[in-house]
Amino acid sequence: MSALDLLAEREDMISPGISACVGCNVELTLRTVMKVLGPNSILAIPPGCMGGVGVVGWNKQSGAKVPVFFPLLDNTASMLAGIRLALDAKGRDAHVVAFAGDGATVDAGFQALSGVAERGDRIIYICYDNEGYMNTGYQRSSSTSKGSWTSTTPVSKEGQGGKRQHGKDFPMIMAMHDVPYVATASPAYIPDLVRKVEEAMKVKEGLAYIHVYNPCLTGWGIRAEESISVARLAVKTRFFPLYEARNRKFKITVPVPNPLPLEDYTSRIKKFSHLGPERIAELKDLAEERYRFLEAVSAGGGGRA
Amino acid sequence: MSTVAVMNGNYAAATAARLARPEVIAAYPITPQTPVVEYLTLFAAEGSLSSRMTEVESEHSAMSILSGASLAGARCYTATSSQGLALMYEPYFRASTLRLPIVMNIVNREMISPQSVWGGPQDSLTLRDAGWIQIYVEDNQEILDQTIQAFRIAEDPRVLLPINVCYDGFYLSHMTERVEVPEQAEIDAFLPPYEAKHQILDPRKPMAIDPLTSGYLVMEYRKKHMDSMAAALGVVEETDKAYAALTGRSWGGALDLYRMEDAEYAVVTLGSVTGACREMVDEKRAAGVRIGLVKVRCLRPFPKAAVAAALARVKGFGVIDRNVSFGWNTGIVYQEVRSALYESGRTLPSVPFVGGLGGEDITLGLVSKAFDEIVAAVDAGRTPQSAVWLWAPRKGVKA
Repeated sequence: MSALDLLAEREDMISPGISACVGCNVELTLRTVMKVLGPNSILAIPPGCMGGVGVVGWNKQSGAKVPVFFPLLDNTASMLAGIRLALDAKGRDAHVVAFAGDGATVDAGFQALSGVAERGDRIIYICYDNEGYMNTGYQRSSSTSKGSWTSTTPVSKEGQGGKRQHGKDFPMIMAMHDVPYVATASPAYIPDLVRKVEEAMKVKEGLAYIHVYNPCLTGWGIRAEESISVARLAVKTRFFPLYEARNRKFKITVPVPNPLPLEDYTSRIKKFSHLGPERIAELKDLAEERYRFLEAVSAGGGGRA
Repeated sequence: MSTVAVMNGNYAAATAARLARPEVIAAYPITPQTPVVEYLTLFAAEGSLSSRMTEVESEHSAMSILSGASLAGARCYTATSSQGLALMYEPYFRASTLRLPIVMNIVNREMISPQSVWGGPQDSLTLRDAGWIQIYVEDNQEILDQTIQAFRIAEDPRVLLPINVCYDGFYLSHMTERVEVPEQAEIDAFLPPYEAKHQILDPRKPMAIDPLTSGYLVMEYRKKHMDSMAAALGVVEETDKAYAALTGRSWGGALDLYRMEDAEYAVVTLGSVTGACREMVDEKRAAGVRIGLVKVRCLRPFPKAAVAAALARVKGFGVIDRNVSFGWNTGIVYQEVRSALYESGRTLPSVPFVGGLGGEDITLGLVSKAFDEIVAAVDAGRTPQSAVWLWAPRKGVKA
C-alpha cells in the first residue's frame, strides 16, 4: 500500500482541535506518525509544543486516542524503558513511543536517551527538532543553528549577535550508539517518513530513533503557507539530509546530487535575516561538510545517484 | 518455617526485595548501597530473582524507569543513597504525587560537602516533605521485615504512595547480624500480586495521565495525598500486626517504646543509634534514673498523636539527631517532636542533640553524657536554644 493510501485509510489517533499554530508542521508530523503506529501504542509527550497545545490534554480530557502521558523534560526515554519492562513482565506488547522536542532530546533528555540506546531498551523515539524551546517563545537549544536569532541569543539593531555555536549533529550522534535503527525525516517528505516509521516498528530489540526536522513558523519567522516548502528546501539545499542507519550502515534515502543555494532556504526565514553572506557561508560550509561525511559513510556513496 | 542466616544489612534488603517479587527493578550503584545492586544482579544471574532487572546510567533514570513501569502497572523496587537520592529528586517528588507505590530502600549516607561516604540520614530526612512514606529501622532483621511490609503498605488502596525504608550506611549496611528469613510461600500469601487500578498506561483502556491541571484540581490532589498519608499511619500499624501474626515479630508500627511505662525522662531516637541508647537506658535505670526510649520509626507520616501520648507523662526529653536542620540550629527530628507536643498543648524542657554526622561514632560514652544532660536540663527546667553537640572536637575548636 502506498503511504498516501495508508494515511487515507488509518484513523487519526490525535484528538481534533488541538491548539497548534496555524500551519504547524509538527502537528502534521505527529498525526502522520500516530496513524502509522496505530492504536496499540503508548505515547509519551514531554513538555514542549505538543504538550503545550494539548496532546496530553487538560485534566479530565485526553488529547489522544491512545494512552498518553507527560514524562519529565529529561526522562522521556527512561520512563518508556520502564513501560517496556513492565509490558515484558506482564507478557504484553505495544509500541512504546516518544514524541519529543529537541529540548527534551538533544539537551536535557540526552543522558536518558543515550542510556536507553546503550542498554538496548526497545522503544521508538521520535524527536521533532524545531531548533529550540518554541512553546515558551524560542529560547536557544543545542540544536539551534549558528547565527540564529533566538530570545536568548538576541540580535542588536546593527545585526550583531545570534547564536554563536553550530547545532549538534544529533542524529549522527545517535547513529554512533550502534542502535538498530536511526533515521532523519521531514514533514515535506511524508512517504519517506511513513516508511521510516514502519521500519522503526519492525525493530524487535533495541532503540529506533527518528529525527524529524520541523522548521517553526512562529519562532523562526516563516509564512504559514510556506511551512512545507521551507521544510523541503532544508533538504534540497543539503542543510538537513534524509538518511537512515542500521547499526552504523548508512543510506541516504533522498539523495541531493545538485543542491539548491542555501540562500534559497535561509532567505525565507526571519531568524537568519541579519546574517550577511559570510555568516551564511559558515552555515553552507557546515552543511556541505556534514553531507560529504554522510556520503562517505553511506554504502556505495549513496548520495551520488 | 523461616531459615536463620547471617547477613549484612544490604543483603537483608536485597533478600527482602527478592521475596516481594517486584516485577521491575532498576538501580544504580552508590556507596554504601552498592552491594544491594550487586546482590540483586547476582540473584538474577542465578535465576532466583523473578524481576526484570535493568542496570541504569543514573539514579535519575532508575526512578524514571520505575515511574514508567509503575504507570504500566508493575510492582517496582530500587535502592539508593545520598547523592543518588539528590539526583533523583525530580522523579522522586513526582512518583509520590503520581501516587506510584514504588518501594525504595535508602541506605542513609551523609550529604556532601565535605566529601563523605559514611552514614547519616541527612539525605532522606531532607526530602521528608516530598510525599513519600519514610520508615527508619534499627537493625538488619528490621530492614528485612520492614522492606517486605513496605510493598503491602504502599500498594494498599487506602495508601497508594511510594515508601522508603531507611537504614544507616555502614552501621547496618555493612554490619553482619543474625536474620530470620521467612519462606517464599509465607511472603506470597502476605503479599499478593499488585494490580494497579487507579491509573494505568494500557492501550486497551486509553487514558491521559498527568495532563495539564488547573490549580483547583492540584489542590484536590494534594488534599487527597495528605488524607492518604494520614490513612497510612493506620495501615503501617495494621501491616505490622499482620506480619507479626505471620512471623512472630512486631516492630511497634509508627513508634517503638522501650521502658517508657514509668519514665520521668525520655530519649527520642531514629535509626541504628537506638541500639546504643537502649543499652544506656538499662545502665541508667540500674543507677536509679527513670529514663525510657522512644524510637521514631515512621517519620512520614509523622505519628503526632502517638508521640504526644508517649511523652505525656515525662518531665522532659532529649532527641538525638544524626542530621542538622540549618537555620533551626538543631536536628530535624527534634523539631518534629516539638511540633507534635505543641499540637497536644504541652511544653516540656527538651534537649536537642546533634552527633554522629558523616558516620562519626556515637559511643556509649557520648550517649551516657547525653542522658546526663537530659536529666540535668529537665530537672533545671531548661531548654537549650541550639543543639548540644555530641562529639570530641579538635583541639582549639569550641565544643
